Amino acid sequence: MSSPLKHWQAGLFRHETILLAVLLAEWLYFDSVGRRFGTLDNTFDILRHSSEIGLLALVMTPIMLTGGIDLSVGSLLGLCAILFGKLWRDAHFSPALAGVCTLGIGAMAGGLNAALITRLRLPPLIVTLGTYSLFRGLAEAITHGVDTFTDFPPSFLALGQERRGGLPTQAWIFFAAAIGIWLLVHRTVFGRSFRAIGYAPEGAHYAGLPVERRLAMAYVLAGVVAALAAIIYTARLGQAKADAGTGYELFAITAVVLGGTSIFGGAGSVHGTLLGVATIAVLSNGLVHTRQPREVAGMLTGALLLFALASGEVSKWLAKFRAHGHAAHPTPPLSAPDSP
Amino acid sequence: MCKTRREESAVASVLPFSPAGALHRTEAKMPPLLQLSRISKSFGAVRALNEVSLSLEPGEVHALLGENGAGKSTLIKVITGAHTPDDGRIEIDGHPVGALSPARARALGIGCIYQQPALFPDLTVAENIALRLENASPARRVRWAARHAHAKELLHKLGAEIDPAAEVRQLSMPDQQLVEIACALGSGARIVIMDEPTASLTQKEQHLLFAVVRGLRAHGAGVIYISHRLEEIFALADRVTVLRDGASIGTNRIDEIHEASLIKMMVGREVATIYPPAESAPKDTVLNLRGLCSREGGVHGIDLEVQAGEIVGLAGLVGAGRTELARTLFGITPADAGEILLDGAPVCIRNPGDAIAHGIAYTPEDRRKHGVILEMPIAANISMAVHQTLFPGMWLRLDAERRLALDAIRDLGIRTTGPSAPAGSLSGGNQQKVALARWLATKPKLLILDEPTQGVDIGAKSEIHKIIRRLAAEGLAVLMISSDLPEILGMSDRIAVMRGGTIVTILDGKPDAHRVMAAALGQSAKEAA
Amino acid sequence: MTERSSLQTVSKYFRELSVAAVLVVLLLVLAVAAPAFFDAQPLFSRLARDTPTLVAACGMTLVILCRQIDISIGSQFAVCGVCAGALAAGKEPAFVVCVAPLLIGAALGAFNGALVAGLRLPSIVVTLATMVMAREGLRWTQQGVFINLPDGLQWFGLAQRSGQCALIVFALLLLAAMAWAMKNLSAGRFIYAAGSDAEAARLAGLRPRLTTFLVFVLMGALTGLAALMNLVQSPQVDPKSGTGIELKAIAAAVVGGVAVSGGRGRLWGVFAGVLLLACVNPALTYLHVEAYWEKAIQGAIILLAVVADGLRSRKAREAS
Repeated sequence: MSSPLKHWQAGLFRHETILLAVLLAEWLYFDSVGRRFGTLDNTFDILRHSSEIGLLALVMTPIMLTGGIDLSVGSLLGLCAILFGKLWRDAHFSPALAGVCTLGIGAMAGGLNAALITRLRLPPLIVTLGTYSLFRGLAEAITHGVDTFTDFPPSFLALGQERRGGLPTQAWIFFAAAIGIWLLVHRTVFGRSFRAIGYAPEGAHYAGLPVERRLAMAYVLAGVVAALAAIIYTARLGQAKADAGTGYELFAITAVVLGGTSIFGGAGSVHGTLLGVATIAVLSNGLVHTRQPREVAGMLTGALLLFALASGEVSKWLAKFRAHGHAAHPTPPLSAPDSP
Repeated sequence: MCKTRREESAVASVLPFSPAGALHRTEAKMPPLLQLSRISKSFGAVRALNEVSLSLEPGEVHALLGENGAGKSTLIKVITGAHTPDDGRIEIDGHPVGALSPARARALGIGCIYQQPALFPDLTVAENIALRLENASPARRVRWAARHAHAKELLHKLGAEIDPAAEVRQLSMPDQQLVEIACALGSGARIVIMDEPTASLTQKEQHLLFAVVRGLRAHGAGVIYISHRLEEIFALADRVTVLRDGASIGTNRIDEIHEASLIKMMVGREVATIYPPAESAPKDTVLNLRGLCSREGGVHGIDLEVQAGEIVGLAGLVGAGRTELARTLFGITPADAGEILLDGAPVCIRNPGDAIAHGIAYTPEDRRKHGVILEMPIAANISMAVHQTLFPGMWLRLDAERRLALDAIRDLGIRTTGPSAPAGSLSGGNQQKVALARWLATKPKLLILDEPTQGVDIGAKSEIHKIIRRLAAEGLAVLMISSDLPEILGMSDRIAVMRGGTIVTILDGKPDAHRVMAAALGQSAKEAA
Repeated sequence: MTERSSLQTVSKYFRELSVAAVLVVLLLVLAVAAPAFFDAQPLFSRLARDTPTLVAACGMTLVILCRQIDISIGSQFAVCGVCAGALAAGKEPAFVVCVAPLLIGAALGAFNGALVAGLRLPSIVVTLATMVMAREGLRWTQQGVFINLPDGLQWFGLAQRSGQCALIVFALLLLAAMAWAMKNLSAGRFIYAAGSDAEAARLAGLRPRLTTFLVFVLMGALTGLAALMNLVQSPQVDPKSGTGIELKAIAAAVVGGVAVSGGRGRLWGVFAGVLLLACVNPALTYLHVEAYWEKAIQGAIILLAVVADGLRSRKAREAS
């Protein structure tokens, strides 16, 4: 009856819409206040700097939809970066071959997380806290803490520093990954399974869903994408060090939660995550242009995260009140199939 | 008889207050223990309680009856202080009490035994009892020996053989329920609320519970007893109040009313308690079990046959192994010995995926946790088990899913606003229909139903019964687990009775309740734990 | 009968005993391969340097028992240390310098607690946010500048060895007091109850949300105390001090048998965990392994501990 109007109203108050409004407000503010902010060059800078964190946030989304978390992606980025460097410099692989091997290593690392979480039913928080330390530690040990890999060929560096087809090269990769993961989460049975597992892990098993396989897929994918991000990072900076990616998992999780994904699993979206990444990226870039110190960006991001969480709680509370109405008073039966 | 009296006096010796306040009727009229006057409570736009009045006399067992969603839980939460009423007055012993909190309610002598034991799994039984009964003052020194002794005493007087040093996590559900009862007993509560207390108790524990209730009554405490089981209410209660849609329909003395009127008050209309009959004779054998064993599941030596078109009821007491058998058949706890034959061919079932592939479907006992996913839309729930067939490749086909959901809504009569409504917005009966729809979409040969009408109101129950009978008539083989004896007797073509993890007898024809119960109990009084 | 009860005791304290066993083995290996490990001077130095970790681990144990986590204590530590250092450099009286970090830590903990217990936000994300905010805020104001401390502050004005002993003894007394309180004070049992089943705790009138809030406040205060104990050990305050202490504390707790699901674990086990982890790094040095392996080994130890737990509970599941 009143569905079309209510639908529209509901759309207005959805998390993603509010985030979009915040993003627009940010952009307008920085455009007016900062010099050089709204330029194409700067926008490309934003894209360049946010590709790696964006990739990590994208792949963190399916994991958090299952109710899990992966704190090790930043450390894995560091480990993959130096292994890539080592394969190229010491084993004399071509960048392409080194890249493929690095992706494989990322998959194996993700597989370690997956095995511990699915086979032994260990809590993802502690497992990935352990691998967070392990991966970073391996990176530091292999490089003896000081070794840096540089002098990559320009054809490789073009991946991170040049443009192709009008956009920074890594932006194409990022967009491709974004589309791929969006489709995975929103249009395939895998995404449906992730949500079901997040809402009801046992219920998903009773429904015949292959829970362990799906979870393993999410964590292995995270490993592969972290390796991809490591390659892009190395290309962008022109060097690979053991501390690559330090703190990136924090930003990835922030972007995902900002985008409306619940840490308990089930609820969330990839477009929300993309908005979250954009919000954080624009914020830190804009603050640089308005001559604010770097640290303010970090503080504001933290505050933004808390605000997003708190408002999420409030809206859940309101939704529970409305749902309680349905349960107590069952609605009349459908008379005829309605057209969409 | 003797046993009951002994248990009653045993219970009485645990109660700290004197029997002076007991049966009351001859002296000057004492104020009721608890008087609720015109209590109203709303959540947002929903009126959960609408001017409900209830009184509880000392030494009375007052039954509270009502369909799901009638407001019983909300009323209980108001009494125990978990919710504050928007309107109305609460009086205890004739004195009005202001705002109640859980701590204050406890202090005023209100105790509640919930259906799901609210215990601490990582702590010992003794500590659980102590935390519930002691004063919540953080600076006090813990006296471990006294705690242990107190718990031991309470449990012993209850007749329960539970080690106070055991971790609650390791106790069975019935044992946990007994610990709950011990807490209520030890708290010296004078207003005791029991919310479906027999739901997971074995027969022996139910007798213990009834003795506890009678003992409480003999000592002047008042018991508010919530149950769906009319035979219990008629056995225990003095008065009964019926709630419907948040309002009190009426309070009657138990000897002045009969079952049909109660049901009519609950539902608001006459409901026939007849079960739909079998329409035709069963055909080929679909399921054949030979010597099936599962160590993990705790079942052994299962021999059973189920034919297409028949409903085989699986009866037995809690702990007999019925759900365990279902879980073995469905691959949750796979079998390690014996054979499962479907349509004559042996099959190997190691996980639910295998079971579904072979045409076995299972609607679990715990509907909210395993049966439907409350936060997801109805359509997503219904398609959950058929991803491979409905969505070949891996892409979701949302229009096909919606069509499937609409067909199910129409066929099963699910009351909802639409296929995209979350399953949590439905009543229990409609949620069960969604669970059924999910499994019917897999086009199974064998449908295993585990407590299909538990927590479902009377109107929806009879609809579900009709659906089950119709499914059988269409050629499905149905294995139905139920703790509701009339339901098993009314719906089954044959009844397999389980005890101690195996099938002890299979009864043909139309056996009576006594035969089934006798088989379920066996010769000795001890049940498998 | 006695034989069965001693077997039961072993099973009950299995975790603590196995960690202690691993520690003993490690010490034996060191005694044989690198006896210089046990030289008094460096040993005392190391033990004193690790007392802040022990204090932090005690607090973290309570947080994990409540089924929460706090990864912001590293930043809290730095903030408290810098504030105390600034007060000391500003010639404030010793009393103020000692009490201020505890109060500041408690305030930071209260902020975490209010969000987690009050608004019911998940602690991993809340403390992630407060960690970043505190760290960046500190970096902004401090700009990485070290603060020079007045002479009288080092070792509380005592000689170095006495100061070290004082710190070690104090930390052990604190541990013993907390272990006693967790076992014998109602407040301690409330923490176990809140972590085991918060809803049951609420129904029993135990106020789990208030308990959780106070645990975060205590965590903050203990972090401030740890910062103070660290402060007196060197002539300067490094604004980057405390980095990684949250991981060490969590690792020690997990190794020591505290369950991430809340409600189970003992402080004595955490003590064994702290000792074990504290020995790893110097053991590497004395066994001529590069110090850069420390993080990897720490991570591996965490994983081994949880894997052991996982295998044990899988065996228990299959047996039942």
